Amino acid sequence: MKTSILTSIAIVLIVGGATAGGAPQRGRSPAAEQPPPTVTPQEYPARLVEAGEPRFAARCGFCHGRDAGGGEGGPDLTRSELVAEDTYGDRIRDLLRSGRVAGDMHAFDLGDEEFTLIVAFIHDRKTQAELAMGGRRFVEADDLRTGDASAGQRYFNGAGGCAQCHSETGDLAGIASRFEGLALLRRMLYPAFGRPAPAPATVTVTLPTGETLIGELASQDEFTIALIDSDGASHSWSTNEVEFTVDDPMATHFDLLGAYTDDDMHNLYAYLETLR
Amino acid sequence: MRNPGTRLAVGLGIVAALAVFANAQGVDPARFAEPPIDNWLTYHGDYSGKRHSPLTQITVGNLDRLTQAWRFDTGQPPSIKGTPVLVDGVLYVTTPDNLWAIDARTAEELWHYTYPMNDAFHIGHRGAAVHGDNVYLTTPDAHLLALDAGDGTLRWDVEIADSSRGYWSTNAPLVIRNHVIVGVSGDFDNLPGQLKSVDADTGETQWIFYSTPPPGTPDSISGGATGGQMWMSGTYDPELNLMYVGTGNPTPVLNGEARPGDNPWTGAIVALNPDTGELVWGYQTSPHDTHDWDAAEVPVLVDGTFDGEERRMLLQASRNGYFFVLDRTNGENLLTAPFTTVNWAMGLDERGRPIPDPEKEPKPDGVLVAPNEAGGTNYRSPSFDPETGLLVVSAQDGFGIYFYKPDHGAYGWAGADYNIAGKSFLRAIDYRTGEIAWSHPIGDGPGAAGVLTTASGLTITGDIPGNLMVLRTSDGETLWHAPIGRVGNGPITYMLDGRQYVVVGARSSLYAFALEE
Repeated sequence: MKTSILTSIAIVLIVGGATAGGAPQRGRSPAAEQPPPTVTPQEYPARLVEAGEPRFAARCGFCHGRDAGGGEGGPDLTRSELVAEDTYGDRIRDLLRSGRVAGDMHAFDLGDEEFTLIVAFIHDRKTQAELAMGGRRFVEADDLRTGDASAGQRYFNGAGGCAQCHSETGDLAGIASRFEGLALLRRMLYPAFGRPAPAPATVTVTLPTGETLIGELASQDEFTIALIDSDGASHSWSTNEVEFTVDDPMATHFDLLGAYTDDDMHNLYAYLETLR
Repeated sequence: MRNPGTRLAVGLGIVAALAVFANAQGVDPARFAEPPIDNWLTYHGDYSGKRHSPLTQITVGNLDRLTQAWRFDTGQPPSIKGTPVLVDGVLYVTTPDNLWAIDARTAEELWHYTYPMNDAFHIGHRGAAVHGDNVYLTTPDAHLLALDAGDGTLRWDVEIADSSRGYWSTNAPLVIRNHVIVGVSGDFDNLPGQLKSVDADTGETQWIFYSTPPPGTPDSISGGATGGQMWMSGTYDPELNLMYVGTGNPTPVLNGEARPGDNPWTGAIVALNPDTGELVWGYQTSPHDTHDWDAAEVPVLVDGTFDGEERRMLLQASRNGYFFVLDRTNGENLLTAPFTTVNWAMGLDERGRPIPDPEKEPKPDGVLVAPNEAGGTNYRSPSFDPETGLLVVSAQDGFGIYFYKPDHGAYGWAGADYNIAGKSFLRAIDYRTGEIAWSHPIGDGPGAAGVLTTASGLTITGDIPGNLMVLRTSDGETLWHAPIGRVGNGPITYMLDGRQYVVVGARSSLYAFALEE
């Protein structure tokens, strides 16, 4: 048997075509449920996939689940944009070499053979996920549709304070077309998780001379603060040498996590879903 | 047993190792009850789990002379997430499938044992254990190996649990007399929680304690739950002859409907007789857990005054965000208080146990829960400072979203959850009140490092950006730091040739710091 992603996509298209004229299968939008499609069709012999399964479990399974469907701390790889864009391991190889500093994933030094097996298994799982509708441990967009959009809009403009930074005709226009289901919910709750913040923090640094610099926060820990100025130049200082204030739009998102009721969260999500 | 011929030890430095051991009589576990001074003989340094050193050569006043003495690189990508042990001048440090013996004076590799390739989880490793002239190593496929401490030769290899069923091990065994007590992990399958004691000399099984019903037995109390794995090293009170170990979350993990009730002894601290494996008492910090919160964190044994009375206590900062003080003679609760942001409990019951809010159980449309799956704290060891009465712990204010619907089934994870955001702090908890004496930010996201305190008033740990830090224990002020990379677990300290060393693993390296000579 050969596992062909090209074939899989063809099947998905046929299924999609068959339901396009009527109600979506099981009452949900197939577009919202489908993982991001594989960009470049690839083929992996079944023997590689089979040999890759235990290697994946050993190296990756703790975080990503033994079936690549997500596990302790690690995302569902069958719904990963990076895997969708990967061609025979090119994107995955780069990630394994560098690790993911923000996501707490260390670098992996795999031999060529093991790497090939693991890539084959990941792509096979992705193919299976593209074929399957609503496999286990998936969060369906329909599951999330329990809120009241008008209550969410009131929260947006009132208690949530969202309108202080966002607007439905500005930055959030069409947000529900760009992000759907779980991706939209997670972005609503904390847009900076595992990715650069859409609105970076700015920092104002006052030097001992009294000179003031303002720029995008590049990095910060207890001992060093660094910014990138409007010309793109990097600057860094010991935190005990300068005065500084950081304005981080993500701080408001973090504070809201402690303030939302679950109803607030579902209502706000329902409101954002109307912004198509 | 496996054929010892599969060993891949590197022989370099064996002569040096033999020279070191020529004067050693082997390690008597009776020494594990003493505070660590010129050795660090167990995962925790001693039986108490306090990770507090009586050493005072390095002080608040001389940190400007604290400098790197040596560095040992494993040459492999996995981080060192364990604690090394030091036995008479030789350090033993581990990563999954690997154990190195290193000369503690020079960082020279004496030998390196590599376990054969296996298909179990390679998530991390906590460390080695010693008894006589054996060094013990658990493996990802849940075997226990006894190696010759002198040259790394494999003496025996026994299976602790069947890895083909989903067990694995990261455990640093706890050694009590001739018992080598080994725990395992396994969250992706519905498996009984098991802790096994084997004979230190022969590897023969002595007893098995099951935290949930063993296979083939009628379920009397657990409510249908499996799990409750004891994947962290326990602690031991020699006078009471009781060992204490934390048990993990129940399985299925997020589906609580399939296992009604409190699900003992998951999410619990259990007190066992180490000679028989018999349960003497148990206390659930997380009854009916549905958020993957282990109570596996270190049960720290402290003697002192509580409410004006001398008590033998057990302290735990638990993964669910609550701090507990128990009377360790009988499991009586003395105090429960949150040490991180928590929103999942409706209050405390008459035994001081948090009462889970059904509204915060995983739901089809998701619930926002604090802490998240990474926990209010995790495996990284805390430290207790007797002078101030503070338990210093790596803590996280975190939020996650939890999903479960019947379609997710009742096997393994049985649901979905996602960390949303978190901020981490080093927090000092006053055991007498549960109040936070100070809270020192250490970065965004979960984790950071284990903690060591010293009698000279120092707290040694790491932050999330990757600095090794020395803080003043009384107020949490940073006094010194070195950017060495993310620290994996608690630093250790010992005296060697009149010089106090601080040894810590960060990424793939082990670092030693000492005062400039």
